[in-house]
Parts: sequence; structure tokens; C-alpha cells
Amino acid sequence: MMKTLGLAALLATSATMALAQAKTLTPGQEVDMVLLPKFLGILVFDQAHEGAQEAHAELQNPGELLFQGPTPENSVAGQIEIMTTAGTQGVGAVMLSNNAGDQIVPAAQAAAESGTKIVTWDSPIPNGEGESVFIAQVDFEETGRVMADMAHEIMGGEGQFAVLSASPDAANQNAWIASLESVLASDEKYANLELVETVYGNDQSEESYNRALALVDSHPDLKLIMAPTTVGIQAAAKAMQDEGLCEQVKVSGLGLPAEMASYSLNGCAPQFALWDFRDLGYLTYQVAYGLATGQLTGEEGETFVAGRMGEYTIEADPGREGAKRVLMGPFTVYTAENVEAAAN
Amino acid sequence: MTRLSPGTLRILALLLVLVLVGAFFASQIDNYLNARLFNRISSSVAIVALIACGQTLVILTRNIDLSLGAIVGFSAYATGALVTTAPDLHPILLALGSLAIGAGFGLVNGLLVAYAGVPSIIVTLAAMAIFRSALVEFSGAQSITTDDLPQWLVDFPNLPLFTVAGLQFRAAFVAAVVIVVLVHLALTRLRPARALYAVGSNPDAAEMAGIDARRTVLAAFVAAGALAGLAGLFFLARFGNITVVAGLGFELKSIAAAVLGGVSINGGSGSVIGALIGAVLVDLIENSLVRWDVVSEFWREAVLGLLILSAVTADALLMRRLTRLRIRREKAAAPATKEATP
Repeated sequence: MMKTLGLAALLATSATMALAQAKTLTPGQEVDMVLLPKFLGILVFDQAHEGAQEAHAELQNPGELLFQGPTPENSVAGQIEIMTTAGTQGVGAVMLSNNAGDQIVPAAQAAAESGTKIVTWDSPIPNGEGESVFIAQVDFEETGRVMADMAHEIMGGEGQFAVLSASPDAANQNAWIASLESVLASDEKYANLELVETVYGNDQSEESYNRALALVDSHPDLKLIMAPTTVGIQAAAKAMQDEGLCEQVKVSGLGLPAEMASYSLNGCAPQFALWDFRDLGYLTYQVAYGLATGQLTGEEGETFVAGRMGEYTIEADPGREGAKRVLMGPFTVYTAENVEAAAN
Repeated sequence: MTRLSPGTLRILALLLVLVLVGAFFASQIDNYLNARLFNRISSSVAIVALIACGQTLVILTRNIDLSLGAIVGFSAYATGALVTTAPDLHPILLALGSLAIGAGFGLVNGLLVAYAGVPSIIVTLAAMAIFRSALVEFSGAQSITTDDLPQWLVDFPNLPLFTVAGLQFRAAFVAAVVIVVLVHLALTRLRPARALYAVGSNPDAAEMAGIDARRTVLAAFVAAGALAGLAGLFFLARFGNITVVAGLGFELKSIAAAVLGGVSINGGSGSVIGALIGAVLVDLIENSLVRWDVVSEFWREAVLGLLILSAVTADALLMRRLTRLRIRREKAAAPATKEATP
């Protein structure tokens, strides 16, 4: 239903913009690009890098694609520093998965003023300042619905559950949790699901593991831990398995099939979801290249062809007023049936 | 009545603080005091205790090691990679491997501090960043997952060895306590280990007494590194999923544990048993704060800091009072002995 409506709206918009044709990007133009993840050393960011490399080769950009990120303990300051440096060096585009909240804004604005295009992916700049466009992996509203549906199914429609998030500053995590809360409140279907607490494991195995156990201790009737982070969901599943709690407390959220396969198969995490990070890196690169070479203007309603992934449109971001996004989607929901195939 | 040594007094004071903290949270949190709490604390103390023990050795020599967290992370990842490629590796060899990796890093720190004369806070601050970056480079963004590990390793931390009054004593915790006790025995009984105290309380006097201060400091860093390396193996076994953030923040936690445990930051005084209890205390506070509704997520770190500060202050005041009490009692007893001598 929602999809048909969305499609109709899309058709309507493209019809009003008489003959708005999808722009095809001309390859071979030289522009230096920086891919800036939250921090180095996490598998999903490396997958995004692979996707960007694929697009870099395909678009035959003679310039450089640099994968630069801070070390984990220095994420916020490191991101700001790399952003500042990229701006002063006149890099064509910075592709940012923001972990610094609005603290990145001054650096991003300075870079943007000196001509560097800031394209965010995975996690946007919350107030949208300094950012050209955000490549949204999935609709943030849809994330809430997918999580609510998984919770509904695993818990049999009723009971208490809790959220185990990454850091309290992560814009994407907070938007997903907010959307989960609004979905829960708006639909009668979820009336008997009670979200009792949200805790933060800061994307560290150890902290996430301990937080998951603390949740079980604090809420004796807890039936599910929902972790919209790949580190958190794995740590929570391991904690439940180690303490023999899988029968009582299930784990769900956003996870990597390769890391979650065993927990899906043994029933600790019957369902979880994710999107393809390689595709996300690929699409982000296409947009950043288009903007940096001046082939895309970044206006709302602009339609373009992103290589093998097909046509996309720049649109207003419903979650952030005044900001723009390109929506990738969709989710894949993994269960014991399909997780093994995806893990390899 | 046999007189208690200052060290024993300190341990007793710490245990008292531990009981008070436990009692406070028990009054605040439902279903608090139970076997589960013991499992939670003991399982995570198994890792921190080893690091705090190593940190204590370094602090005793008037130095500090900020790189221990990074060493834990590197060792966790490297031993994970090792056991993934060679799943049949004997557990003892794997443990030795983790010790060697940690000792190697400790050697770098120790040489720079002891022989190049660079202050330890600077050496290990730089080392913390360098070791962590080395891990980022070494890992190539791949993470170690539980599926890659042999079953015995995954089972080890949660293996119940024996049960006392319904409390499970699990393998990793027992192993960590045994190691701390062994280090304690070495520090109190062995001459070379006593040198750590001598160098820490008065380096010049130690030199005069024929102690090689440089070698002693080097040894402290190597031992601390080795213990952190072993803690890395424990970390791997417990959490399974190792990314480059593994062990982040353990350096500060270990310092907090040591200081809470009565190890003087000025060197020369303190015990690893104290550091062990300090580790329990830090973990108890942390674990309980997570479940205490009054404190929000954003204030927890601040409250933890405040509690540590007050615990250390309370401990210092208590110790001063006890020492004063003893001096007074000794003075009162002194004339009597004098009269008895002639």
C-alpha cells in the first residue's frame, strides 16, 4: 500500500517535471574523493569501501579515492580533523558516515565553502548544515516498521522488549529508535508491545554484552532485545547464549549474516534485517562523483542513473527539515532459512 | 591479639567499602543481591583483574601504562586470528602466545621508559595510539567472529569449576584470581619482585642498595604487557566478536581499579590483591549504575567518576584515622616497654 502510494507520488513528480530525464554520468573526469567512515576496522565500512572502489573503477576517475577514517577511540575529533584537512586540500567530495552529530557542522561548512561536496551516507548530519545530500540506506521510517514487525512476530504480539543501541550521539540510531517508537504508538497492531528501556553499548562488544545482561537483570519479564547495530546484536546474542537465556530472551535488530548465522540457526536470534553496504558505498560514490564534477546539481527532483543500480531521485528528507536525500533501500530480513546462503 | 599490618588493614577497609556499596545498591535496585550478580561481576572481573594487576606492577615503580587497553585489543585480535588459522593449537601454546604478544609490546614501552628516559605517561600515550593503529592495519577491517573459534575456547569463560553456596566459580575468574595470588606471593616473597617496591619508594636508595632500577622498570612493563596479553585471550574467549575497538578504555579502568585498591600513584606502596578488590569495586559500581534508574545514560560516567573519587577519599581518610590510632596506641605502649628494658 505504502509502496504503491510512493510510486504514484514519484510518477506524479516526474510527470510534472516535463521530460525530466535521468542524467547519465559521464565517466573519466578527474576528481579526488575521500570516503570517511565512523571509524576504521568495522566490516560494514570496509564493505562500503569496496562498493565505492567498484564505482571509482567503473567511472574511470583518474583522481584518487582515499579511504580515511579516525581510529576508534578518536572518532569524533578524528572525523572533524579529516573533514577540515579534506576541505583545505581542495578534495572534490567527502563521503561521510557521521559519528560526530552536529559537532561536524563547522568543519563541513568550511569544506563546503571551499568547494568540497559533502555527501553523507549511513549516518547523516542531524541538522543537515554543510551537507549536499544524504544517501539513506533505507527509509528511516521503514526501519522503525521493520523492527516493530520483527518484534511483533518474535514476541507473538505481546510483551516487554528493550533497545540496545550504539552511541547516544549516532544520528542514524536515534532516528531509527524514534521511528520505532512512533510506529509502536501509531498502530493498534503493536499495542501490546512495550518498549521498556533503551541502553547504549557504544558499538563495543564488551559494553554491549554487559548492557544486554543488565537489561535481563533489570526486567525479569523481558522477551526481546532489539539492537539496531551490527556490533550490539552480535554481543547481545552471545550474551544470551552464554548465560543460557535464549529460550527466554530473543535477540533481533540489524546484523550481518556472516556474524549472525549461528545465532539464527540455534534460535537465539530468529530474525534480523540489514541492507547491502557494498551497494550503499557504490551509490554514494556515484552521487558524490556527479556532484563534484558538476554533472549533478543536487537539486530536489533531480533524477540520475547510478550505474548498475539504476535510476534514483534526489528528494526532500522527511526526517530532517530542509535536508535532501537519495533513498536506496530495501531491507532484507534474515531468518534460519536464508541466513546461511547470505553468510558466505 | 595479633596486630594487623597496614596492608591488611587497607584490604579490610576496602572490603568494608565494597559491602557498603553493595548494600546501598541493594536498597535501590530490585532483585539485586543474587547469584546472577555474582556471575556478572566475576565474569567481567576475570579480564579487568589481570590488567589491573599488570597496571599495579607498573604503578609500583612510579610509572603508568596507558597502552594496556590497546595491548588487550591487539592480543585479542591476534590470538583470535592465530587460533582461526590453527584451530588445533594446544591451549597452553595459545596462552603462551598471548603472553608473548603482550610482553613484546611491554618491552617496547619498557625500553623507552627505562633506558631512553622518556616519561612513561608520554611513551604509553603514544604507544596507545600506535598499538591501536597497528591493530587497525593488521586486521584489515575484518572482525573475528565466534564461529571461527574452537569450542573449548568459547566454553572456557563460562565453565563452572565449582559452586559455593549457590555461587558459580567459573574457569576464567578462578584462573585470574590464581594468577593475581601468584603475583602477590611473588611480590611479598621473592627478592627480585621486592625490587619493584624499592625502586618505586626511593630510586636513589634502591640504586645504592645495588638494585638495577632500569632493569626493574623494564621488567615491570614487560610483565604488565604479558598480563594484558593474557587478558586479551580471556577477552577473545568471552566476547568472541573482536573488532578494532576491543579493549578500548581498559587502561583507565585498570588505573581506577589499582588506585581504588590502595595502590599509591606515587609508587612504592600497594598490593595486587588490593587492585583485584578495586577491580571488583569498579565493576560492581558500573554494573549497578546501569540498573539504577536514578542515573541517566548520559550522567553515568560522571557518577562513576564521582563514586570512585569518594571511595578513594573515604579510603584515604579511614586509613589516616587508623594509622593515627595506631601511633597513639604505640606511644601509650612505648613507656611500658622502656620501663621493662633496664
